[in-house]
Amino acid sequence: MSLLSVDHLSIGYQTKKGLLRAVDNISFDLEQGQSLGFVGESGCGKTTIGMALMGLLPENAVILNGHIRFQGEDLISLTETQWQAVRGAKIAMIFQAAMNALNPVMPVGEQIKEAIITHQPDISKTHLADRMTELFDLVDIPARRMKDYPHEYSGGMKQRAVIAMALACDPALIIADEPTTALDVIVQDQILREIKQVQETTRTGLVFISHDIAVVASVCEQICVMYAGQIVETGTRKEVFKSPRHPYTRTLLNSYLSLDNLNDIRVPDMKESPDQMVETNECRFANSCPACSSACSGRFPDWIDVSATHKVFCCNPDMIRRGRGKS
Amino acid sequence: MEKAESKNRFLVEMRQVTKAYASRKKLFSRSSQQVLALNSIDLGIEHGEIFGLVGQSGSGKTTTGRLLVKLESPTAGEIFFDQTPISQLKGSRLKAYRSRVQMIFQDPYQSLNPHLSIAETVMEPLIVQKAGTPDTRMEKVIHTLETVGLLPGKAFFNRYPHQLSGGQRQRVAIARAIVLEPQFIVADEPTSMLDATIAIQLFKLLGQIKETFGMTLLFITHNLAAARYMCDRIAVIHDGHIVEVNTADNIIRHPEHPYTKKLIKVQPGFKYTR
Repeated sequence: MSLLSVDHLSIGYQTKKGLLRAVDNISFDLEQGQSLGFVGESGCGKTTIGMALMGLLPENAVILNGHIRFQGEDLISLTETQWQAVRGAKIAMIFQAAMNALNPVMPVGEQIKEAIITHQPDISKTHLADRMTELFDLVDIPARRMKDYPHEYSGGMKQRAVIAMALACDPALIIADEPTTALDVIVQDQILREIKQVQETTRTGLVFISHDIAVVASVCEQICVMYAGQIVETGTRKEVFKSPRHPYTRTLLNSYLSLDNLNDIRVPDMKESPDQMVETNECRFANSCPACSSACSGRFPDWIDVSATHKVFCCNPDMIRRGRGKS
Repeated sequence: MEKAESKNRFLVEMRQVTKAYASRKKLFSRSSQQVLALNSIDLGIEHGEIFGLVGQSGSGKTTTGRLLVKLESPTAGEIFFDQTPISQLKGSRLKAYRSRVQMIFQDPYQSLNPHLSIAETVMEPLIVQKAGTPDTRMEKVIHTLETVGLLPGKAFFNRYPHQLSGGQRQRVAIARAIVLEPQFIVADEPTSMLDATIAIQLFKLLGQIKETFGMTLLFITHNLAAARYMCDRIAVIHDGHIVEVNTADNIIRHPEHPYTKKLIKVQPGFKYTR
């Protein structure tokens, strides 16, 4: 049994103009101790997936169909009270803005204690103190800083404190949503190592969400590339980043500046993102796709198997299997 | 100040520039401590080059940009623009300086006034500097919007920032910066809030603008890869000191300072996929 199994999940947002399909028919599995990265650009629905896994979808969100099974239990049918026993204890989240994720008027240590006591009200004082030392040790914050307030922490330390808080109850699944976006490269590097190391030592499942493909590549073994609410390519990090098949994945990789790919940089011609208000029968990337041809029009993409783990959502199976196409 | 040919190869030069901020340890304590954001730095930016300033948060890179556009003044040292010390600029000469030097800020969600339409935003510098007549201003604004890739320019006239995407907003910010055809632009992390596919398009645009108008550009970033892609020369700044200056290629291929080496090492890449 998978730790997490998401099956044909669609999530919409009620807006003044109608229903916006933010997440469209998404399926994936995550085993214990595995890490899965969602990568895509603003508005592709990656944060919505994270929020759905935490039961924190905003009020105007509607789960249109599908299932989220966590340790065999369907999370979608949980009531708010039932969610409280899961959230924080079994599934925890490392939030995007560490700066805002901490309570500014409460010492950092107290906030983490609060997280533990909420889920383990009977914990003894010594156990609690031990656990706190252990947690601060795990994320490399000196224990004497427990009494300090968030404003006395640097950006990187705040993010570590947020990681410690997520780990507080020893969750089986951690969701990290852009955990390093606000940090500079040196601190980012430390935090990513921290997350990886903690994930490997605790054998926690990790869902890692980021717009930064290199960051996802450095943390996760399994990758899902998202575009306009859909997963367009999935596979191991080697498959997806070394031999990308979907034209969108190629576009993303070709426009990403890193120190080792400067010669492959191509400036994409991205058109307006597709209208997610309508349920479409056509490929959503068609408008911006460099490989789109007349054969694509009017067709809905299919899942094409490149290998047992590598799958691509496209209308053009020949191009995908060939592994070459203009992009 | 108008010199057709400059003997000096530097358009902008910082000599021994120090910037100190006072920081109070406690809310009500009188004694103040000084934090040196910039510690006696020397820097020269050549005519027509894209110069990169790379460093992590708190290294002083944004302070440098703010000093150069004279949003702030140095505590010690002098900044020369076209060989004129800018600390002495006042009144009309300062105003003239402001039309020759422009800034593009990091966050297009905060740097545009939400109450001003796109036309008003881009036209404001022309009005402040009393450039042209109302009719030619209108023409200029349309032309500038189209230069930055907002096509057709007229379609954006009556739109407001909230109706635009992040990339489009940053294009408006660029339009506002170039509408006066300045000689020097400071771009402070212009794409750090944007997606990679959008960022790369803006880099291309900045490069084109630099070529078309023959501008000099200071590109401030924490992203060494972006700096290498964009810049002719790069300076690495750390704790208020410039630790290394070299051509973009050399600084990546042959870094000398340990801090530069460290920056290169932590740059995210695809080493895990090999």
